[in-house]
Amino acid sequence: MAQAATERELTMSRAMVEAVASEMRDGDEVFVMGEDVADYGGIFDSTQGLLAEFGRDRVMDVPISETAFIGAAVGAAQQGMRPIAELMFVDFFGVCMDQIYNQMAKNTYMSGGAVNVPMVLTTAVGGTYNDAAQHSQTLYGTFAHLPGMKVVVPSTAYDAKGLMHSAIRDDDPVVYMFHKRLMGLGWMPAPEGPKTPVPEEAYTIPFGEADVKREGSDATVVTLGLHVHRALEAAETLAEEGVEAEVVDLRTLVPMDTETVVESVRKTGRLVVVDEDYRSFGLTGEVVTRVAERALDDLEAVRRLAVPDVPIPYARPLEEAVNPDTGAIAEAVRETVE
Amino acid sequence: MSRDEGEDEADRVALDSGAVWPADADDVEEAVVANWFVREGGRVEADAVVCEIQVEKVSIDVPSPVTGTLAEVLVAENESFARGDPLAYVTPA
Amino acid sequence: MYEWMVTARHYEERLQEEYLEGKQPAFDISAGPIPGELHLAAGHEAAAAGVCAHLRDDDVVTATHRPHHVAIAKGVDLKRMTAEIFGRRTGLCKGKGGHMHLFDPDVNFACSGIIAEGCPPAVGAAMAAKKRNTDGVAVSFVGEGAIDQGGFLESLNLAAVHDLPVVFVIEDNDWAISMPKERVTDVSDGSQRAAGFDMPGVRIDYDDAVAVFEAAEEAVMRARAGNGPSLVEVQVHRRMGHFMGDAEAYRPEDDVERHQRLDSVERLADDLRSSDVSDEELAAIRERAHERVEEAIAWAKDQPEPDPAEVTEDVFVDGGQRPRAADAPAGGDD
Repeated sequence: MAQAATERELTMSRAMVEAVASEMRDGDEVFVMGEDVADYGGIFDSTQGLLAEFGRDRVMDVPISETAFIGAAVGAAQQGMRPIAELMFVDFFGVCMDQIYNQMAKNTYMSGGAVNVPMVLTTAVGGTYNDAAQHSQTLYGTFAHLPGMKVVVPSTAYDAKGLMHSAIRDDDPVVYMFHKRLMGLGWMPAPEGPKTPVPEEAYTIPFGEADVKREGSDATVVTLGLHVHRALEAAETLAEEGVEAEVVDLRTLVPMDTETVVESVRKTGRLVVVDEDYRSFGLTGEVVTRVAERALDDLEAVRRLAVPDVPIPYARPLEEAVNPDTGAIAEAVRETVE
Repeated sequence: MSRDEGEDEADRVALDSGAVWPADADDVEEAVVANWFVREGGRVEADAVVCEIQVEKVSIDVPSPVTGTLAEVLVAENESFARGDPLAYVTPA
Repeated sequence: MYEWMVTARHYEERLQEEYLEGKQPAFDISAGPIPGELHLAAGHEAAAAGVCAHLRDDDVVTATHRPHHVAIAKGVDLKRMTAEIFGRRTGLCKGKGGHMHLFDPDVNFACSGIIAEGCPPAVGAAMAAKKRNTDGVAVSFVGEGAIDQGGFLESLNLAAVHDLPVVFVIEDNDWAISMPKERVTDVSDGSQRAAGFDMPGVRIDYDDAVAVFEAAEEAVMRARAGNGPSLVEVQVHRRMGHFMGDAEAYRPEDDVERHQRLDSVERLADDLRSSDVSDEELAAIRERAHERVEEAIAWAKDQPEPDPAEVTEDVFVDGGQRPRAADAPAGGDD
């Protein structure tokens, strides 16, 4: 990871907020709206401290009316504003998907490029804390499948800040999906890893550039979000057994950096794709297909780990059974190298 | 925790958890360190946030009293401490 | 009503204790015997009791992410509900649902964790009752934060235009998580929304169970008689945070104090005393309620956890399809 040396480390939520605040200082057209984004600072700290600096006009608490305020973000963006609208949990997309998919994502294309929609839709994703079927999904594949939205999934504070700067500056709609378990919340402890050194100054990370979070020669693990850290942990275990896994963090799904993934598989010959979304018709199948189309001859073994095709269950042993863990990732890699 | 070692060095300044204790948590005597933002040996600026503690369910940022180096962390992340315990020592520079 | 209310109050207070086990001094939402979010309804009891007093088992109720008091008043099996909250195999939903997703078809109770999303299914249940010519009714509970949501407004309109037997009940506790009502709507009286759909709307300004009982009686009777939907808003109180773990830093101290002071359970006890119910009788009811709660919690904690092998079951109904008359063999081929 190329990054300036710094002694200051930030949690992912603080890194995100730092980018938002910086862009808000630079441009009056950037504003934030969502439920509990002002006084509360975002249920997952995604807007913590912004109200104090920018006031209610630019950090707007809105009624529980996602169709209205996400649609309003589309309209404001088309007028040249750069709104950041927060959908509190991605699971709530159902109440406003028409605004997201039939307007935000399509207006640029439908207008033949006459209008554009430079907004960011931030949303919390993921499980691991027993919040059950309506509050634990990632839905990465759902959003990445529908054309017209860029989809961003940071796994570290450094990536979160750079990707947020890019998202706000981007002239297209960006869905910025942050995993609750990675935010560094006091009440939901993060794993080792998402908290990283973060430079004070603004910087961007281009979309469509995956990041090799760990180099290895024996197998390629492609993943994103929380599972980057689970894969890195699995890689440590495997290293003790003499198996070197390369961990590729996709970082953005749309656009997806197929090249980095394919290069890695050409080197290792083995592919394991790990996802916290549903298995069928989703991200794992997409990654495997892209590799197969380009590097079939290099491919010796493939495994994919994802949530079996069931809604996320509530009880702890059931949720643990469906969400791929470190042990399962290590085992999948072992199967490919046997 | 080797608190005594630190107290031998008179020039080190304690990061005092009592100083940031919220007024409405007078009945609470225990808290947890949620996050450190600087590692041991790292540079800290006066008034910059060095760590975040969680008292009951409230997160509180703890600023450094002086500019210098974070000499020693006494309470690790996700560990609890008693109200008034020093969280770390900072060597002024 | 009093018994439901003291049961619900004690239940929430006990769940709070159980929930915080393993979550102190560090509050980790995924730790302890009850993980995940927990939305408790202490202070909301009057709305549930006053409305459900008029309902039969075959009447349908949809509740919110804060469902326990309504479930208790509707007669949901307390033991199996508690087992579900503890994530046990013998819970109402085999441990798959959790506290926001409780289903008890025996008494036609369901709830959802998505704001206002209980309204359309209640309208549908009313459609079914009307088409089958029963005199069953459906009741949809929502919070005041939900009435700006399309699902609520669309449901009111659909129910009104088809004269469906639905009662919409708004539990107004002043707060949508951190957002006070005055910052999300210019009309503080939610019952006024009824006028826009030409249905009766009434607001009970204080959580007096007797007043709720009387208003709900009119609404439920109206629905049963085939005279269409109504809207009832009840001022309730949020004695605890939005969810357990909510530090409520956004909430003025005097607001919390006021919500604690205005206690519908105590108010009803006073009303009962003044209509010659003795202190001993009230104490006996309280004791019975407490015992029932303790028994349910003890039973639930003793139940087995689900087997991970069951995780892929129940995505679809097991056992295929109901044969249709039209599919009967026409004969002639044999």
